[in-house]
Amino acid sequence: MSGCPYDPFKEHRKKGVLNAKLDGDEIPMILRHKDLKLRAKDWETYSSDAPFRVPIPAEEDVRTVRQLPLEVDPPEHTEYRAIAEPFFRKPLQADFIQKIENLIEELLYAIGNNEAIEIVSQFSLPLQSRALTYLLGVPESEADELISWGTHVFRTGDGKQKGAQMEAYINAWLDKAEENPGDDFYSALTQAQYRGRHLTREEMAGYCNIMFAGGRDTVINSVSFIMGYFAQHPDRLDQVRENPSFIKTATEEFVRYVSPVTHIGRVCPVETEVHGHKVKEGQRITLGFASANHDETVFDSPEEVRIDRKPNPHVGFGFGIHNCLGAHHARLIMRTLIKKLCERVETLEWVDAKENLEVEEDYTRTVSYESLTLKVQTKSLDAH
Amino acid sequence: MAKIAFITPDGESVVVNNAEGNLMEIATYNEVEGIDASCGGVCSCGTCHVRVNPNWIDRLGDKTEAEIDMLDFQPGADERSRLCCQIEIGSNHDGLILEVDPL
Ligand code: HEM
Ligand code: FES
Repeated sequence: MSGCPYDPFKEHRKKGVLNAKLDGDEIPMILRHKDLKLRAKDWETYSSDAPFRVPIPAEEDVRTVRQLPLEVDPPEHTEYRAIAEPFFRKPLQADFIQKIENLIEELLYAIGNNEAIEIVSQFSLPLQSRALTYLLGVPESEADELISWGTHVFRTGDGKQKGAQMEAYINAWLDKAEENPGDDFYSALTQAQYRGRHLTREEMAGYCNIMFAGGRDTVINSVSFIMGYFAQHPDRLDQVRENPSFIKTATEEFVRYVSPVTHIGRVCPVETEVHGHKVKEGQRITLGFASANHDETVFDSPEEVRIDRKPNPHVGFGFGIHNCLGAHHARLIMRTLIKKLCERVETLEWVDAKENLEVEEDYTRTVSYESLTLKVQTKSLDAH
Repeated sequence: MAKIAFITPDGESVVVNNAEGNLMEIATYNEVEGIDASCGGVCSCGTCHVRVNPNWIDRLGDKTEAEIDMLDFQPGADERSRLCCQIEIGSNHDGLILEVDPL
């Protein structure tokens, strides 16, 4: 046993691959950093052109549209991605950054009266949902609907029913945008041009689907982890206060250590072999981001969180052409959270937690918290 | 301190007269178009990719494992490529010109 609950792959990494029982199938998981990068780059052998089958377990039961630009290969991928890219760069703008700062302050003060509070549902989920309304460019009140879907749209509760509810919600917004375009994400999609034509409704819905599904539990888990971490290590927060350049390095380190996306699949259009495992035509492999991020040949003491780790060539946001479009947004949320914890919080006290476990036949991996109870005491406003 | 220049993807040049310290920080401080530096300099994003004249390569210090690895996978990277977050600028870099790779 490796001991690190975020890295159950240590022993398997020696062999390079884990033939993992996942989704009723045997799927070779690529475990080493360099191996993963090579394969993430080689889309001709390890293709993303496979609707519903890039995430594992496959999602044909919980959605009806191909997620864009996740589930396509070049050359189409390049063009699909370029359509969405400008929207995902909004978090680099000053007014957007300011809004996130205000939001996090508001949420911290709302829970900052030193009473025991459940962080995942009362802080991380509203933070993620409200921040997403800024990215989408829709009224903040839309967050109520998003919050009601829970941490993982497809995996908490009845995924099928919620997947359908989410698609209906997306379609209603797209209808509205077609009739009466504004400057929101949906309207941009209705006006976008792909190879000299408009996007189909299915394509538009495919972009929206990943916005809600992909950017959700990942952000929520990262935020909850950061809260729990600094509650357990108040001295580290003091270190960040003394050296604000740690805000960025700590953010990257949290993404590396937590690796909110444990792995994500590819489909092999032709028969191939990974570390002696034959992969038949049409079968899947999976890119083990979490394992690669704990590869001891790349990261010193990978089982330790080092808030000043540098260099830190993690692959937590993926690698290559499909690397995370939401990374600007996610980084902004995490960096701002750490900054505001430094500025606005007097004490963070650990009360209780239940870990969020990914339980598979071959491994169990901790990914942040299912619930986390803390007492948060914010600084008095006029002391500032 | 050194006088250096960035040539951005749309052909504009940004001249920095008193450059010193980390090259990525110099670039972002001067808002050089095309240098996103999303990861803040930990060598995990590749969005601080520049090309330098081959005559200069030897004067910029050795590449770390992490940088070599990152550049290996960077579209369009070649022997002139560097990640500017991995470079420290000092007075011996006067006259350095950096071509910014498009994002
Ligand atoms: C800490 C938070 C996040 C993590 C760790 C994360 C992780 C990842 C990873 C590993 C991939 C690569 C998938 C692949 O190679 O097939 C990816 C892709 C993607 N992510 Fe994220 N993500 C995060 C947040 C977000 C957010 C907030 C959004 C949107 C609001 C988002 C939208 C996307 C999209 C659209 C892609 C597909 C890009 C493409 O295929 O070209 N992600 N993400
Ligand atoms: S800033 Fe990310 S690799 Fe240089």
